[in-house]
Amino acid sequence: MSAFTLGWHIMKERLSAGRMLVIWPLLAIFIIFSSWGLSDPKADLLSGLTIDSAYDVMFASTAFIGLSATMGAVLISFDGISRDRLSGVLEIKLSQPIERSKYARSLLIGHWGAIFFPVLILNLFSLAIIWHRMNELPSVEEFFIYTLGTGLLLLWYTSIQLLASSWAKDMGSSIAIGLGVWMTFTLLWLVLTTVVAGLSGVGVENLNSSEYVEIGGMVDLFSPNGVYNHLLELPLTGVDRGISPLASTIAAIVWSVLPLQLFIRRIERMHP
Amino acid sequence: METSLTLNDVSWRHTVRDYSSWKPWAKKDGPGIHSINLEIHKGQILGLIGPNGAGKSTLMKAICGLYDCKGFDKTCTSRRIGIGYMPEQVRWEGRISVRNTLKTISLMREETVDVGSIIQIVGLSSKSDHHLDNLSQGMRQRLSLACALIGNPKILVLDEPLNGLDPLAQRAFSNLLESLASKGVSIIISSHQVADLEMLADRVALLHHGQLLIEGTLSTVRENLGLDDNSGILEMICSATGIDPGDVSLELSNDDLLPFKQLGGEEE
Repeated sequence: MSAFTLGWHIMKERLSAGRMLVIWPLLAIFIIFSSWGLSDPKADLLSGLTIDSAYDVMFASTAFIGLSATMGAVLISFDGISRDRLSGVLEIKLSQPIERSKYARSLLIGHWGAIFFPVLILNLFSLAIIWHRMNELPSVEEFFIYTLGTGLLLLWYTSIQLLASSWAKDMGSSIAIGLGVWMTFTLLWLVLTTVVAGLSGVGVENLNSSEYVEIGGMVDLFSPNGVYNHLLELPLTGVDRGISPLASTIAAIVWSVLPLQLFIRRIERMHP
Repeated sequence: METSLTLNDVSWRHTVRDYSSWKPWAKKDGPGIHSINLEIHKGQILGLIGPNGAGKSTLMKAICGLYDCKGFDKTCTSRRIGIGYMPEQVRWEGRISVRNTLKTISLMREETVDVGSIIQIVGLSSKSDHHLDNLSQGMRQRLSLACALIGNPKILVLDEPLNGLDPLAQRAFSNLLESLASKGVSIIISSHQVADLEMLADRVALLHHGQLLIEGTLSTVRENLGLDDNSGILEMICSATGIDPGDVSLELSNDDLLPFKQLGGEEE
């Protein structure tokens, strides 16, 4: 049996959980409505972004995915380990002959799948909306990069949250760590970027200056949401934040491997 | 008699927070089990008895491979393959059905298992599609037993399995265990009440403060301790440790009351 078989089973369990009744509408509102609004030819975006193509709509809507889907990943995974640990079920699971590393990978696959597949389905709906409103679709390459980037972002949040869940002694601590991480990377990152820019001697009066944009690009490599943005910027022309595609790819690999390895190591050494 | 598992000088100490240090991450060795020597025989029921905190659950978890401690004749992984474990008081909950829960465990055993037959053995047929949230405590105990039975284990380790069961279910449970033992399954069952194991266990092992005080058939144990047939766990511990039953208070569970040195061992 592969980690995927058990992961698939865990995913089905998580998809049937009561909290999905909250997560599905939350995702639908953010993803579908953002695509609908952003694909409106009369849309006037406050940020000064111009929407010229179907991919531009998808790129702009990632701001909403970065808020809702990542929160969904936290809400699905926060009790992935801690609940079983508190209830005693983890003792039963860890006493099974399955390799601990395989079990850890199954948990990750299951929890990741439970948020990724709803997001993917809603993204397909978004495509239909964009096509309906703009009579245009992104290219296969653009859609691939978009889906890959979104999948990776959710993988990073899921592995961080599962790691937090394995550390926490109770579910409250687990969700507190998860929300703290989510707030840092989604809401507070701009503040951190500004602090780093200020300490580096870069003026923060003009956030569109080339120095600040470069510093921002560099700092973003240390945030899952930032790397997600870097990946999605790859197909865009005229966007240069001083980060090469190779640097973005390496950052994506590090974010994929590091939390996962920490999580596997944690499960291997865990005493229920 | 054929031996299913041998424990030779098995020790394990839990790691606990060291409050004497200013560092929040400082840890120190806590309670555990100390130099346990035991043989698990094929087809026999071994009762582990001892008061709260004696180390029964720790010993069981060590046997099941949840703690990577030395002294076993089999590795952690090979022990996990042949052992079915039922922890004490599992709070099964969630919107998952009984059948799906057992399917998850069977996937983790990496074996093709007829989940339906196990559900039938533990008497959960009428509840197989019910959500875990809707199960009573007794039903949850049965589900834990069902998890332990998956994969036809050669050794069953059951931690206080009779807790929460009504007398009828306790009788049915005992019958099931006797039937499994007659088929060659070795069973380790813990309880803090001798009466629970009186009719069931072929041998008993008395644990206290992480140490194995005495082991043998219940009658031999009583005979060696100079006790009559009605004596329970309190009398056994008092006799084995030389404590006067009149002096026993709630502090019996206090770690300082009966240190290892009084039992001929040495506190680490």
